Amino acid sequence: MSRYRVSMDIGGTFTDVVAYDEETGRYRATKASTTPHDLTEGVFAALSTLVPQPNDISFMVHGTTQGLNAFLERRGVKVLLLATAGAGDTYHIARGPRMRLYDLHYRKPEPLLPLRDVVEVGGRFDPTGAELAPLDEDAVRAAAKRYAAEGFGAIAVAYLFSYANPAHELRTRQILEEELGDGVTVSLSHEAAKEWREYERTSSAVVEAYTGPVIRRYLARLEDSLEDRGLQVPLHVMQSSGGILRASSARRSPLQTLLSGPVGGAMGGVALAEALDRPNMICVDMGGTSFDVSLVVDGKPDISPEAALEGLPMLMSVVNIHTIGAGGGSVGWEEAGGLRVGPRSAGAAPGPACYGRGGVEPTVTDANLVLGRIDAEWFAGGELTLDVQAAERAVAGLGERLGLGTVAMAEGICDVANAKMAQAIRTITVSRGIEPREFTLVAFGGAGPMHAVFLARELGIGEVVVPRFPGAFSAWGMLQTEIRKDFVEPYFHVDEDLDRADTARRLAAMADEGLRALADEGVPESGRRVEHAVDVRYVAQEYTLTVPVHDADEPTREDFVEIVAKRFAQLHEARYGHANPGAPIEFVTLRTTAFGDLGRAETERLPEGGAEFPHRVVPVVFGGEPRDTVVVRRDDLVRGHSFDGPAIVVESTATTVVPPGFTVSVDAIGSLLVQDKEK
Amino acid sequence: MSIDPVVVEIVRNALTSAADDMNATLIRSAYTPIIYECGDCVVALLDDEHQVLGQSAGLPIFLGNLETCTLATEQRFGREVWQPDDVWILNDSYLGGTHLNDVTIFGPVFVDDALVGFTATRAHWIDVGSKDPGGSMDSVNIFQEGLRLGPQKLVEGGREVAAVIDTIATNVRFPYPTSGDMHAMIATIKMGQARLAEIVARWGLETVRAARDEIFAQTERLEREVIRNIPDGVYRAEGFLDNDGVDLTTPVPVKLAITVSGESLEFDVTESADQTVGPVNCGTAQTVSACRVGYKLLVSPDVPGNGGSFRPMSVRVREGSVFGAQAPAACQWYFSHLGLLIDLVAKALAPAMPERVAAASHGDSMIVLLAGRDARHGRDYVSLEATLGGWGAWEGSDGESALINNVNGSLKDIPIEVFETRYPFRITEYAIRPDSGGAGRWRGGNGVVREYVAQQDCTVSLWFERSTTPAWGLFGGSDAAPPEVVINHGRPDERRLLKCNGLRLKAGDTIRCMTGGGGGYGSPAERDDAAVRDDIADGHVSRERAAAVYGA
Repeated sequence: MSRYRVSMDIGGTFTDVVAYDEETGRYRATKASTTPHDLTEGVFAALSTLVPQPNDISFMVHGTTQGLNAFLERRGVKVLLLATAGAGDTYHIARGPRMRLYDLHYRKPEPLLPLRDVVEVGGRFDPTGAELAPLDEDAVRAAAKRYAAEGFGAIAVAYLFSYANPAHELRTRQILEEELGDGVTVSLSHEAAKEWREYERTSSAVVEAYTGPVIRRYLARLEDSLEDRGLQVPLHVMQSSGGILRASSARRSPLQTLLSGPVGGAMGGVALAEALDRPNMICVDMGGTSFDVSLVVDGKPDISPEAALEGLPMLMSVVNIHTIGAGGGSVGWEEAGGLRVGPRSAGAAPGPACYGRGGVEPTVTDANLVLGRIDAEWFAGGELTLDVQAAERAVAGLGERLGLGTVAMAEGICDVANAKMAQAIRTITVSRGIEPREFTLVAFGGAGPMHAVFLARELGIGEVVVPRFPGAFSAWGMLQTEIRKDFVEPYFHVDEDLDRADTARRLAAMADEGLRALADEGVPESGRRVEHAVDVRYVAQEYTLTVPVHDADEPTREDFVEIVAKRFAQLHEARYGHANPGAPIEFVTLRTTAFGDLGRAETERLPEGGAEFPHRVVPVVFGGEPRDTVVVRRDDLVRGHSFDGPAIVVESTATTVVPPGFTVSVDAIGSLLVQDKEK
Repeated sequence: MSIDPVVVEIVRNALTSAADDMNATLIRSAYTPIIYECGDCVVALLDDEHQVLGQSAGLPIFLGNLETCTLATEQRFGREVWQPDDVWILNDSYLGGTHLNDVTIFGPVFVDDALVGFTATRAHWIDVGSKDPGGSMDSVNIFQEGLRLGPQKLVEGGREVAAVIDTIATNVRFPYPTSGDMHAMIATIKMGQARLAEIVARWGLETVRAARDEIFAQTERLEREVIRNIPDGVYRAEGFLDNDGVDLTTPVPVKLAITVSGESLEFDVTESADQTVGPVNCGTAQTVSACRVGYKLLVSPDVPGNGGSFRPMSVRVREGSVFGAQAPAACQWYFSHLGLLIDLVAKALAPAMPERVAAASHGDSMIVLLAGRDARHGRDYVSLEATLGGWGAWEGSDGESALINNVNGSLKDIPIEVFETRYPFRITEYAIRPDSGGAGRWRGGNGVVREYVAQQDCTVSLWFERSTTPAWGLFGGSDAAPPEVVINHGRPDERRLLKCNGLRLKAGDTIRCMTGGGGGYGSPAERDDAAVRDDIADGHVSRERAAAVYGA
């Protein structure tokens, strides 16, 4: 009987798996080493401890960093780019900003293909989509010959105004398939990103062409081997937008899968916000070398219509994740007689001094270890034994140069690291007009819970939540999502010129398209719904805000423009701190999002336990003094347990550090709630 | 007082972060894209002696001259003029150094009735009531350039001074967005005041002062270490602006001499041109800023600026010159000769620090202003664009092609799809301009070609510079091509010009703009053969030129 909903987060080093048993309502989590030669080996090594047989699985979703890694390591395929004659240098001009202002040696983000691999093709539309010059088909055929002769792996096609009229791009694909066969990978810019701004759209198509074949091959292999092992349900893939899709459709638009990995954590934050009835959350995910921050505002994920990777833009819905250069590996060092912590990281190799892999500089992890805030034997579930003496040597060395004792130096490194992380979070919230004091801090990832309470104190936040399975929170988050497909239609109109009947017709057509897509995803009719929105701005503004439209009929209302203007003004006020009621607005883009509910894993309510729990009391340094500190294993804590800091809660994937002045309790779903006693 | 290095580092980060938060507030709340999109703004926290505690990166040309505004105010009215909950404004070119559009707003910070510092911000306002909308290219005195405010209170004891705000509103063309930007700046000042007060309250004034001294000392040590390695001597460089925009036949000389002795540097620009009739003049404060930008690019690009920065350097300016403008000199186009000056710092110091410098860039904003009434909907339009160009090569790398110039920060070009939708033009070519970068072992970046075809009658104004002194090469690298603009290319009525104001065009007329490249670095004879082949394949260098220059 299939009864397990399963999610997997396949990272570079570890594969996390979470399984939800629909019969008992229980969750379990585990991890295994990622096995690059055959990923299913690692997946099943982990799965076998949670689920008896593959055919016991009723639903499966996974997130992957395969495409992202191929991009970051520049392991994508060789791409030929076809562009409009006269504008073939668009991708390399890249709009020309200098992103580092005091750099005489500034270079633009490294493009994914050289200028010589751009072919200019005749053919031109005007802004309304009227043809000014026909497509030069001979040039396309010549490009096909070059593709075959020079070992390219994919073709991107990005013509001016293709969002207004895709005919030339579509005809180009037809010709390329005639010449090169159906198997050729062709990314059309209007399909990758149906929006204006040729550089950003071209870049989207190029990223898709560059990583698409890698993602497709990977998904096909994973699906095949899952099927071989007896999986009987379709595999779903986490999308950059925070929704999921069947692997078979993800293969058709691989760009959407690129940021699949880290998004699970942000969506877990959304689910947790609902479960705990705390609509505003700052989620921090801290690992060895990374520190990611995402926001949940009013119970909703923070989604942008645009993202960039290493400076290369992509027009697609993406959950905002702010990456800050910090983590357990951040190095403490001396400059001009002053202390610095980061942004340099010891990374995984050599890693912190305590890893015993040749690192000699003190890192944040070393400092935590010296202070007793990490249990040397329990770190990473006991998989890695830490060398306390090496950490002490490294910290003491820096302390000597700065005139500080070893313990003071260690606490200083942690204090500086915490202050810097807190300030980075504050700047993110300030630029969104959010007051962090009104938010709950959620901490996950291996190192997140170790620093979270200190960050909260710096930010004036009164409550920190450490969810169950903090090391596998991204995987848990994937079980809390639904199918999502985004549809975009450029629609440039100044308010007074708007043809409202036409707007309604277009939205209705997009709704049909969305509902059909949900049917293709196997969503039962009762679980299908669409949401509409329009991107709006004040005339002559550059940026737009996405304003909800209640249904496809709403534009037929007489006062539709005023309604949209009012909603826009409210959003503008919230986002930018002011609005301009009465000023003319312009419509830029119509958006329809289709959501499909495939049933979700319920949040597990835990039974209440007694008041007592096993623990040790050991000295740990806080505020320069060793303090008697409660050390407890998370597995020994159940709902209703409560105790005061200083305390340390250890589990196989994470360590939670609670300084004096805070109190810890375990809630109904097993989260640790850490609260400031004075708030 | 001796102070814990951990506290110093936490306070240092808190001050920098407070400046970042002020900047985020300004960008978030500003009404006009020149602030929130182009970043034509800057913020700073100052101590009570007008020394910088923290500042945002901001527009480089504004580097470190907010303190001159608080200092000038104090010198004029006395120290007791500072009162809690006041906010001040000024935009006088001869005090702030820049054009009247750049408005500085600042306020004192008090903790327990004691003055502990200031917060300040400067941003570009889209219009301050000059003779032409937004500012003119041919003004001849400051009275044509709009409303000129000496230091005065905008907020007094927490209440806005209605008369001053009303005066501003009646003197600018777009009072609504201008008021929005002004209030965004006031909000920025208040947020900075609160943040600085919080830091002082948390650590105590004595500790913050001790931390400040140590932070400044660290910065000074880092900078002096670099300067110590520059051999003593006098380093000179010079160049010319084509003209001042009004008298189109007379070049404007810019001359720089840098004297290095031990751990200090003196910048001397006194031999540069007398102030001009046209608007390429600036106040001394802005000249100091430009020298600081040139210095920072070479000496301390990665060190956040503070009161310890620039201690080893001094600047000599001659009053009545283009760098020390006196009333009533026109200052609207105050940045063209400053951009040149910044480039000249690297040229002068090239022999002393060859691995840190770069050859020159295309160097100016290369402005195209198109205006008219769009017959498609009957509405008026004005489009103002800066055009990208090439940057200079350096030891180890070619220069970048098609990049915005130094004084425009992180400005992006306008996409063809956006431009043609908004304005009645077709852009038929937008490309990297081959052979425009200087040849060298490391090749200068190329400029661009951007060709507009008017679909309706309209007017065009242009400001293209640096044809007299195109981007120079270094150490045997060649100079780059100068800019060119051709109206009606290849037609009997073809004409070439670089500057004009309100030139009328007919439907079907074309404007072909070509910007200069960056200079080359090292002898072209030493360029790697494979790099020359790649340049030809990529279209950066034509076959003919490759044969002529590189013997390929």
